[in-house]
Amino acid sequence: MKTASIRTRDLTIGYEGRAVVENIELQAYPGQIISVLGPNGAGKTTLIRTLMGQLPPIRGRIELGGTQFSDLSDRQVASMMAVVLTEKPEPELMRCRELVALGRYPYTGRLGLLSAGDWQKVEDAMALVGVSELADRDFDRISDGQRQRVLLARAICQEPEVLILDEPTSYLDLKHKLEFMQLLRRLSQERELAVLMSLHELTLARTFSDEVVCLRDGRVDRSGPAGEVLSETYVEQLFDLSPGSAKMFL
Amino acid sequence: MERKQRKRYIVCFCALAALLLLLLFLNTVVGSTRLGAAAVFDALLGRGDEAARSIVRNIRLPRLLAAALLGGALSVAGFQLQTFFANPIAGPFVLGISSGAKLVVALTMIYCMAHGILLHSVGMIAAAFIGAMLSMGVVLLASGKLRSMALLIVCGVMIGYICTAVTDIVVTFADDSNIVNLHNWSLGSFSGMSWGSLRAAAITVLIALVFSFLLSKPMSAYQLGEGYAHSMGVNIRRFRMALILLSSVLAATVTAFAGPISFVGIAVPHLVKSLFRSSRPILMLPACFLGGGVFCLFCDLIARTLFAPTELSISSVTAVFGAPVVIWMLLTRRSRRAQ
Repeated sequence: MKTASIRTRDLTIGYEGRAVVENIELQAYPGQIISVLGPNGAGKTTLIRTLMGQLPPIRGRIELGGTQFSDLSDRQVASMMAVVLTEKPEPELMRCRELVALGRYPYTGRLGLLSAGDWQKVEDAMALVGVSELADRDFDRISDGQRQRVLLARAICQEPEVLILDEPTSYLDLKHKLEFMQLLRRLSQERELAVLMSLHELTLARTFSDEVVCLRDGRVDRSGPAGEVLSETYVEQLFDLSPGSAKMFL
Repeated sequence: MERKQRKRYIVCFCALAALLLLLLFLNTVVGSTRLGAAAVFDALLGRGDEAARSIVRNIRLPRLLAAALLGGALSVAGFQLQTFFANPIAGPFVLGISSGAKLVVALTMIYCMAHGILLHSVGMIAAAFIGAMLSMGVVLLASGKLRSMALLIVCGVMIGYICTAVTDIVVTFADDSNIVNLHNWSLGSFSGMSWGSLRAAAITVLIALVFSFLLSKPMSAYQLGEGYAHSMGVNIRRFRMALILLSSVLAATVTAFAGPISFVGIAVPHLVKSLFRSSRPILMLPACFLGGGVFCLFCDLIARTLFAPTELSISSVTAVFGAPVVIWMLLTRRSRRAQ
């Protein structure tokens, strides 16, 4: 049996000692996509922030590649896990290539200068995500869909084993949502990447994720293969919908 | 494309260095006492008549070096604060940090004068640093409460007004004989810089600059925001603390010796960024330092010569040239967003 790229054991998350979700047991293996679903306020973002180490867990632990998170240095964590967040960066006069190059951060020296090999990885990451033609454009002058892909290229350039995304498709139109998810699917397979993301779109979750984790009322309400868990009746229950209305979203 | 960018950076650095040298030369030669270039050159080498030698070596030289050094320090402090607050109009003057430093320095000076203590330049820097940190503390507390950056700036401006008002009151009631001295300083000026003060300022500024340069890597990650910086391995708490301390030390040193100087901290980083078409900290830190030196030497030249022998306060001149830059920046930023 392979080691999970990321795994939580009896994890309780929350703010300042107040639990938001208790007893989370989840794991993502290389090449797998896991989606975290649930109504607003169920704790999706709290979970993302805890997994990326921005928020200390209240109880339990997180393991990255079989090693406990707290035993890893900041740099080790950064070389194993990359993120695409909902916060929209607005760097001034930063070209897309420079932004993607920041992904090399854990691998560069004190002054953050990139070697020729590092620059090659930057070009490769951009080519893989399909943003090579944006390389010399300013990041604050491209569209939302393009930005999200450049941010993904930055994360790929960090060469992680685990990729964490917080509602990555929220600002995108239908076409870009679909393209972004197809891209994720391809990347997770080509790069043996464990992908864990929070998501609002149930159809996308069902089509593109291997497993879903549903949060509700302070616990993991249900988890398992997307097709099995996301039945009409369960979706109505998860989001407090009136009977029969879940059809519209699936 | 990469090569083209690199070429631009080299050309820009050379242009800034050339401007700096030119202004250093002009500031040595031009002044209220007319000395020819030859006489100045002689004086620099320790030849020629006594008066010219004294003017060049004890008045002009320390003053122009102070303008270059402190102007550079102020611009770097501005760039750091802009990165910290992710706001292009943050700066030591706007956030009230310079005024806080000024208040504590004024109080310390008056206390020392009253008790006949001679205030050493290190003491001045320390007093200014305490004042800067006090203002900074208030701004940081406010920034925890005020999510809006515009409100934060308003808060900083208010702190600045309060500190300036208190300083004015204190200066008004200070001993008559001391007022002239204190009054000039509290308006801002590079005059009256001694070699001793210059040395203390230079050592403090250079140490702070070295540490700032070493911080350029996490600064570049921080430009993407806290979450991304954290995910790349930046220890956010330690980084923020270091950035605040360094920018406060830089701004405090400037205020201790030259009083509060407006707009340099905002205008210069913006001009330099536009010139280089980049905001990469590893380029911007040295570029802002050079640019700040150029800007302040230019402004000091005007302050000294425009209505000679009457001198203008340096802050009035930097405001005249700096404020339009800030307005231009705000206008072009809006149009950028709208696109």
